[in-house]
Amino acid sequence: MPTRGDRWSHVTRAVTVGMVVALAAGPAALAAPAPNAPPGSNAPSGPAAPPETAAPSAGPSALAGATQGRELYRQNCASCHGDQGRGSQRGPSLVGVGAASVDFQVGTGRMPIPDEMQQPRRGRPVFSADEIAALVEHVTSFGGGGPGIPRVTEGSLGTGRELFAANCAPCHGGTGAGAALTNGWNAPPLYEATPVQVAEAIRVGPGLMPVFPSQVLTDQQVSDLATYVQRLRSERLDRGGNPLGRLGPLAEGVAAWVVALGLLVAAARWLGRRAGE
Amino acid sequence: MIMDRLARAFDDRLRLSPLTRRALAKVFPDHWSFMLGEIALYSFVALVLTGVYLTLFFDPSSADRVYQGSYAPLDGTATSAAYASTVRLSWDVRAGLLIRQTHHWAALIFVAAILVHLVRIFFTGAFRKPRETNWLVGVTMLMLALANGFTGYSLPDDLLSGLGLRIIVSVVESIPLVGSWLVFLGLGGEFPSDEMIPRMFVSHVLLVPAVLVALVSVHLAMIVRQKHAQFPGPGRTEHNVVGSRLYPSYSLRSLALFAWVLAVLFALGGLVQINPVWLYGPSAPGQATSPAQPDWYVAWGDGALRLFPPWEIHIAGHLVPAPFFPGVVLGGVTFLALYAWPFLERWCTGDRRAHQLLDRPRDHPVRMGVGVMALTFFGVLVVAAGDDIIARLLRVPVYDVLYVLRVLVLVLPVLAGALAFLLARALCRSDAARLGELTRADLRAAGQGADRRAGGRRVRAGEARAVDEPELPTPDRPGQRIELWPDGGVWRWRYRDEPAGVTLLNNRAMLTEREAVDSARLAYPGVDHVAVPGPPPPAPPGRVRIALRRWGNAALGVSLLVAALRQRRQRHPDGDGPRPE
Repeated sequence: MPTRGDRWSHVTRAVTVGMVVALAAGPAALAAPAPNAPPGSNAPSGPAAPPETAAPSAGPSALAGATQGRELYRQNCASCHGDQGRGSQRGPSLVGVGAASVDFQVGTGRMPIPDEMQQPRRGRPVFSADEIAALVEHVTSFGGGGPGIPRVTEGSLGTGRELFAANCAPCHGGTGAGAALTNGWNAPPLYEATPVQVAEAIRVGPGLMPVFPSQVLTDQQVSDLATYVQRLRSERLDRGGNPLGRLGPLAEGVAAWVVALGLLVAAARWLGRRAGE
Repeated sequence: MIMDRLARAFDDRLRLSPLTRRALAKVFPDHWSFMLGEIALYSFVALVLTGVYLTLFFDPSSADRVYQGSYAPLDGTATSAAYASTVRLSWDVRAGLLIRQTHHWAALIFVAAILVHLVRIFFTGAFRKPRETNWLVGVTMLMLALANGFTGYSLPDDLLSGLGLRIIVSVVESIPLVGSWLVFLGLGGEFPSDEMIPRMFVSHVLLVPAVLVALVSVHLAMIVRQKHAQFPGPGRTEHNVVGSRLYPSYSLRSLALFAWVLAVLFALGGLVQINPVWLYGPSAPGQATSPAQPDWYVAWGDGALRLFPPWEIHIAGHLVPAPFFPGVVLGGVTFLALYAWPFLERWCTGDRRAHQLLDRPRDHPVRMGVGVMALTFFGVLVVAAGDDIIARLLRVPVYDVLYVLRVLVLVLPVLAGALAFLLARALCRSDAARLGELTRADLRAAGQGADRRAGGRRVRAGEARAVDEPELPTPDRPGQRIELWPDGGVWRWRYRDEPAGVTLLNNRAMLTEREAVDSARLAYPGVDHVAVPGPPPPAPPGRVRIALRRWGNAALGVSLLVAALRQRRQRHPDGDGPRPE
């Protein structure tokens, strides 16, 4: 299931990015032979390779990926992270962040950011799946190791729930709705994260999130967590009706006062008489 | 017919009819704000009804139990029996979730309606003599409602309520000298004790509801005994109550409100999710969830705990923990002030007379100011309980929100109170009927009074005396009269105020003319009596009543026709012999 979801997300991402680019480029994109290539890209035009074969298999394809990755990096990342990924005053070093980190930041649309902000927000990813793969490859070529993209398998919901309550709920909330942290940081809601992104975040620890290396959570436990978080997204868990953003008792209190008491006081007003009558 | 005979039989043995006749003739004021307390009453009825259903499936025990049911992430997990049975109630019991959610919504509405009712009583001065005792009973019920709400919220033993319980326990522990002993006494041990849930359960379903039922009865009995207060108006005096009789008009209206309450509560219970305990997970001392708030009616305490700075205050060399002040002191002072208010106000104004006519809120600017100030204060505290949600929605640091709220909780109540005081005084002194009709000059006049405080107070005291003046029998009231007439074997009377166009019929029939005259004199002292020969012509029926009567007649005719036709058809096959199949 996770691998299917993974591929599915790659496909949707590619499709959505393609649509966005097509809409943005407008008539130029209609004329261009390859709609997937961003304007100004030097990459050889042609049908994009499927993500499975993108990384290590064929020689020319890999070479093309490397050039594409370098170009994308120069255009979108180098101004802050430096040409060789050593970092600058505007962005941290990328040496040793690992493939998981790059895939997470770019795949969730957090990078590239339009301007400096404390905590980049999740958005629509700017690049297609194989562009992201190329970028990941380029950044890992800076060296330094770091966690690779985790492989997520089908996990146990029960174990996942227990691990979630112990490790994730304090910040992301038991419902996965997210919560405020200190100094203006937020633990984001988890409802849009794919299983691979959940696993990447666990291994990488973006922002204020702590890193959970394999000594703390095994690969199987990470898979369990990713499975549970996928389940948490499901609207079927909101069995009781409108979840009110799963924000808890204060949102419920507002509903009670505004909707219910409002209606009942209006009913009393309607049934009773006003002062002048 | 059966009902008639049954009623007669009961009446023969228990002699109920005089009592029933009196009770059914009891008059309720018509103003809508008198029904706010009924919303609370009917929410309480809904709470009892749904609560009984929940007790059939809830297992109040902290013993381990393996949940087995249709909620997959918890299937096969060992949790406390309380939590497991709550998840089972929500996922595996027919209508369990609907009833559980309705119960929870009813609790929120119950306390909210009590609060709105209390605000009405406060601002109209309905707590004044002779109704102070009923005010005390009401405040006690509010306190019990808060307590029962909190134990009910904690019973499912989920992670969110576990945090709340931990906080309350810490607040109790912060009481100097006796805190830890109290906790040990209450819980029967250290915090997550095995006694906790059974004890809360007994208090939640038995002790507090029993006391609440008793107090509700006392509350209502006192209303019957003392009769309702009413707003001033034509024909309304300190000696009568103008409104509708309990039967038939008021009971219909009240039943309609009951239906409304049930409809709204069950609609919410079915359509809007509340307290999804399966998502929160079972309570565990080492775990937490965020954002975490209590239900709204306890949120003011949570907000106070969040806003109070972490000061370490030493008294006589002993550390008094910071939660003591916002937790115990604030709660204690709040309820003490509520209990003491009628006596405090009597002491300040020197007004010791009994009042059956209510104030308009504007008549007492000081009371208005104090009330608005208190409401704003607690409002800011409730908002402060959601500081992390606000920070997240506005994308600003939590501590900035906290600092702003710390200032607001001190400044905003004073500003709001002063504004309410000034507006009330401007309304009271000018002849503007509503807020929109106030002129700038009115406001300026009210503000000038505020500058000259001593003078202002004297003027206010004078005004209060003028308002509180008891009605004396005046010899000459042009256009007002009492009309008496014999109606069969009994006497009836009504009050007429020709210039004001008001006619009020007395609610009870009297056996003698003497009795009728006495009762009219009690209600309208000093108004002339006129004996009229026959009953005055009944008022022309309203449009709705005409339509109802017409439709009723039509429905009766149609049903008779249908019945006749059916009977005919039944008789015919018999005459024709067996029908071919």
